[in-house]
Amino acid sequence: MITGEQKPVDEIRRMIAPYKRILVLGCGSCVAECASGGEKETAMLASALRMAARIKNEDVVIEEMTIDRQCVNQFVIQLDKVIDPYDAVLALGCGAGVQAVAEMYPEVPIIPGLNTEFLGETQAQGVWAETCLGCGDCMLYDFGGICPLARCSKQILNGPCGGSVDGRCEVNPDIPCAWQLIIDRLDKFGGLDRLEDIYPPKDWSTKQGGGPRKIIREDQQK
Amino acid sequence: MINEKRRRLALFYCQNVPESREADRQALEETSGETVALFPMPCSGRVEPVHLLRALEEFADAAYVITCPQGACRNFEGNSRAMKRMERTKSIIESIGLERERVGLIVCSKENPKSLAALAQEIMEDISSLGPSPALGPHGR
Repeated sequence: MITGEQKPVDEIRRMIAPYKRILVLGCGSCVAECASGGEKETAMLASALRMAARIKNEDVVIEEMTIDRQCVNQFVIQLDKVIDPYDAVLALGCGAGVQAVAEMYPEVPIIPGLNTEFLGETQAQGVWAETCLGCGDCMLYDFGGICPLARCSKQILNGPCGGSVDGRCEVNPDIPCAWQLIIDRLDKFGGLDRLEDIYPPKDWSTKQGGGPRKIIREDQQK
Repeated sequence: MINEKRRRLALFYCQNVPESREADRQALEETSGETVALFPMPCSGRVEPVHLLRALEEFADAAYVITCPQGACRNFEGNSRAMKRMERTKSIIESIGLERERVGLIVCSKENPKSLAALAQEIMEDISSLGPSPALGPHGR
């Protein structure tokens, strides 16, 4: 899923300062799962912003709603019924969600309330970790299901670097050495021979070499 | 949305707190007049930051949580979750310019158990130095 974290309240208040009627818009998908932009977080932020405005004696209206997905037009269109009275929308979706809302309502300022972070997994309650760069050319087969590009601090394809200590990364001891994980996993199912190859530098053309990417599936279209 | 008259204190409490049954709550409400709004919860782990924020936004000068003693939660970790959420709530209200002391959490003592009424009185004394909350506006709500 896509992870994000709420921007500092001061930064949000600076961005919404020019507007008098603001809709705080949550997203019930990825950012709800990572507890940054779901219904609860949207209610909390809207409440905090209303109190902050009252403390500063600012005459503003701040209301909230949450839609299931900000990144899918069929859900964003629900705003048609409510958006008219608002001067701006503070969107707590990921960057894709914020832009989808902005595209649908070109006349309305759409303000990001989150910093979108990474593609990752929920490792434990309250712990999310980056595990995929979305490179467009998955190499997880070669590396036993552990991505060295996303999970090795040095992003090396021909590891290990030799700097890890007790299975921990020398750049950041808080994370496990990805190459230790790769070797341990491949060893468990007899796949170490996959590391006999020398991997050339990653071909990043499948990521953003041709500009923003798009997937078109005719069988899925109307 | 919570819709209450202005109160000094919104008090959310675990029903595992001594002398916190419905009759105790009613008695406390009578003696405290309109200074305290009481919210019995099945477990303090059910209290979310948004409950405390809404109380501060709508009617309360301060919002507190009383939990059962450490290690006594019937849901195992409800009270420890409440503590973590309290820290988050404190940081949120601090970020908008409110005093951190406008929210707080009291853990019941296993060795020296006190009634809900006694704990409420202690909290009222703790918050006595706080003036009216600016988050309620100049004339309250």
